Amino acid sequence: MSKKREIEVRGADVEKAIEAGLQKLGVNRSEVIIDVIDEGSRGLLGIGSREAVVRLVTLTVEPTPAPKVQPKPAVQPVVAKRETAVPTPKPTPKPAPTSSNGSDVEATEADAEEKKMAEEVIATLLNKLGVDAQIDTSTSEPDDLTGRKVNVIDIEGEDLGVLIGPRGETLNAMQYLTRLMVGNQLQRRASFVVDVEGYRKRRQQALARLAERMAKKVVARRRPVSLEPMPPHERRIIHMTLRDNEEVYTQSSGEGNRRKVRILPK
Amino acid sequence: MKDLVEYVVKSLVEAPDEVSVEAFEDADETVLEITVAGPDMGRIIGKSGRVINAIRTMAQVAAAKQGIRVAVELVETGDR
Repeated sequence: MSKKREIEVRGADVEKAIEAGLQKLGVNRSEVIIDVIDEGSRGLLGIGSREAVVRLVTLTVEPTPAPKVQPKPAVQPVVAKRETAVPTPKPTPKPAPTSSNGSDVEATEADAEEKKMAEEVIATLLNKLGVDAQIDTSTSEPDDLTGRKVNVIDIEGEDLGVLIGPRGETLNAMQYLTRLMVGNQLQRRASFVVDVEGYRKRRQQALARLAERMAKKVVARRRPVSLEPMPPHERRIIHMTLRDNEEVYTQSSGEGNRRKVRILPK
Repeated sequence: MKDLVEYVVKSLVEAPDEVSVEAFEDADETVLEITVAGPDMGRIIGKSGRVINAIRTMAQVAAAKQGIRVAVELVETGDR
């Protein structure tokens, strides 16, 4: 069994940091678990920019015969759809670069193998929890930055508040665990999203509205505003919502689960 | 509840055969004692205890459904 190795690398952006790390380890993308510690930020004209930091952990791959993964069709670059038509040409998000040996698990299309296994794991978990619910899997919109689509597994039923928990804590614990469980079986990182009754979607919309509201406040007062601490994916929603805002920019500060977003006037 | 924890833990380790979960009553709560092989300890604890805490959260959902309290403890097997 190969030994588990773990490194932290920095780069101008997340992709570059990952690339650098893979090269350092001499492995390809399917052999590591990628953990984005800091997405970094471009800052304004290079001022206040922060390097992206990612952690790469090699998977301990047992010498089993290579799993027969059905060959994937050539990946078509997916151009991320934007809600509002912006005429200014933005650098279009590129799909994750294909690793040299052609085994590209980070394809732009949602992963069918992962979907099947994730549904199975979640259904079993719900059953053991004694929760009566149905599972409905869909595919997300392509990510704004990476163009990647992921499986979204929505749990539907009555009285599922217990699965969400205070501020989505239970839901996040469930997503974290089931991703690890599926990742362990597939021997690669799982990236599906677990949702309950569309909670994440509603939360996302609420956060986007919050971001817009706070941005207005920042502009009116000409003063930065700090939001309360949020988990990474929620901070990301704030950053993404205000990415193209002409009057403000955003930053994350603080460590661990005290990390929060600041909105500052440009 | 014990079943749930056992299923989660076994799916996360390299040595599922060495996993056992025992339940016993202690005062007003049920204690679930997870035993895993030494090399798997890190996987179940996770960075800053993230994995074991997520397991506790899930166990609490199951416990709340039954109207009981639960504590989840982790023990290592083997000789060291």
